[in-house]
Amino acid sequence: MTATFVPPKRFARLVLKVNAFLLIALLLGAAFIGLVAYKQGWFVHQTQIHFITANALGLNKGMPVKLYGFTVGSVSGMELSEEGVDVRLSIMSDYMPRIPKGSLAKHSREAGVVGAAVIDIVPGKPGPALAQGERIDFQPSRSIAEYIDDIRRQAVPAFNELKNVLGQFKGSGEDIAVSLHSLRKEMEALPQTHRDLRNLLSTAERTVAEANTALKSAERAMASIEQAVPELTTKAGSAIESIDSAAQQLRATGAEAQGTIQKAQPVLERGDAVARDAGEVFNAAKRVWPLSDSFNEITDRDLPIDSFDSRSKAPKR
Amino acid sequence: MRALPLVALLAIAAGCGGTKPPAAPSQTSLQSQTRHADAEQRAAMLLRAGDLEGAARQYGEAARIAATIENSDSVAANAINQSIVYQWLGRDADARDALARVLDDPRRPFSERRRLQAELRRAIVDLALQNPVSAATFAERAAQRCANFSCEYAATILNVQAQIALESSRAADAEQLATRAAERARSRNDRAETANALRMLGKARRAQNNAAAAIQPLEQALAIDRELADPRKILADLTELSLASSAAGNRDAAKDYYERAVTVSRALRDTRGLAEMEAQLRRP
Repeated sequence: MTATFVPPKRFARLVLKVNAFLLIALLLGAAFIGLVAYKQGWFVHQTQIHFITANALGLNKGMPVKLYGFTVGSVSGMELSEEGVDVRLSIMSDYMPRIPKGSLAKHSREAGVVGAAVIDIVPGKPGPALAQGERIDFQPSRSIAEYIDDIRRQAVPAFNELKNVLGQFKGSGEDIAVSLHSLRKEMEALPQTHRDLRNLLSTAERTVAEANTALKSAERAMASIEQAVPELTTKAGSAIESIDSAAQQLRATGAEAQGTIQKAQPVLERGDAVARDAGEVFNAAKRVWPLSDSFNEITDRDLPIDSFDSRSKAPKR
Repeated sequence: MRALPLVALLAIAAGCGGTKPPAAPSQTSLQSQTRHADAEQRAAMLLRAGDLEGAARQYGEAARIAATIENSDSVAANAINQSIVYQWLGRDADARDALARVLDDPRRPFSERRRLQAELRRAIVDLALQNPVSAATFAERAAQRCANFSCEYAATILNVQAQIALESSRAADAEQLATRAAERARSRNDRAETANALRMLGKARRAQNNAAAAIQPLEQALAIDRELADPRKILADLTELSLASSAAGNRDAAKDYYERAVTVSRALRDTRGLAEMEAQLRRP
């Protein structure tokens, strides 16, 4: 009884079918890997640069590297070195001409204190681009403690001023409303004082010029005076600026004093008018000292308002 | 028991209803702030790259996002920036419309500074659109917010008012206002507005048939604008100097300034500006 095995019909050309299946699977796998590699930027030519940092806290492999807010690369690796931690950055080579020597890598967050951590490249002065393997300077991010310390440093002088003003008010027994009113009037008079001072300086310049024509022999002396006058102008300018800033601080201090005195001294029942004044200066103070960084950002983002733009395009008939 | 299949069907239907995915959460505060910061950053970047169209679009987007998070200061700042960029693009009407976000919304708590900026910008745009009456109204409003002309925009307001006076054939008033503007600008070390004021002073003096006295302030304006490296202003200074020199009878100087102005205009590839300048110089 010899029964030969006859494979079922559905197994005909089985090897061919299995091979075709494996080939298609292989092709699909390769295509998938290729797609992933393309997405990861493996086909884009990258240039490696690096920086050294004392510690790698907050830095991770794969962290994006940004230039003007655009992602131009990533952190490709980190390793311990003698100086600290050597962090390697892979930058797309197309962007390298925009990163000249002298550029700075900053560890920062996308939305100020919060937001995703990134390495931000701050380009240096125009010049030759960084080359493969070159080192770039690094500025670590500021910690919360440093922010708080910064605020404290800026706030302490203002509080000291507040203390002094409170002491003076208590000592003199003056009505704070009257004092603040006088202070305000003085501040309003400051621009006029500033202008008068400048007029005085320009008159002085003219006088010097006349003396120059009359006394040729005094030319050397005149040169030194002419040199001295701009210096004097600068000094006077800075002195006026100091007065201005002192006045601003006094306004801020006055605002703080108003809040405190309203609670502490019922004597100041007439403080409503003062409170209105203080409210204005308090708004200014809020923007000045505790959050000066934010304030700078606000002013920096404003484009200049230039009266030159008012000229009409069409010629006037 | 006959009702059993019906009950089962209802239960299944109810189950289907229950599996509906929850609605997508609305944007979080952080997302909105990030998008807002991104739009502002992109606008600034595009501006640096010279893409004015893109920058104007991004400023508009930043203002829109700022409105969604009720950040009035940012709404105003971005609307004003958008207006400035539109004007650089020569789209004066769009520049005027961009300011409506601030000027036509009395309920939103914009600060006095922002309202002043918007009114001043509106005066500038109206002047560019050859509407001095409306410009005067908005310049006056801005001046009222700038107590005693002691604010940072005093010189700009005075320069705009001087321009309005000149356009209204009040050259003597224009000279007086320009002199005050120069004084204010110098006291704040604002070189751009100092140069604008000196240029205006020269124009006003020429308009009063005192061309010889117009040369000196115009030369001072040119010196400042060359330091600031602003080609549009250098071109305006040279054109004015050519006109003033010609009116003062100094033909050689007038020709020299004219040729310099043509060179600057060609280098700027400002064909429209060149045509305007030539038309202006040909006028008696």
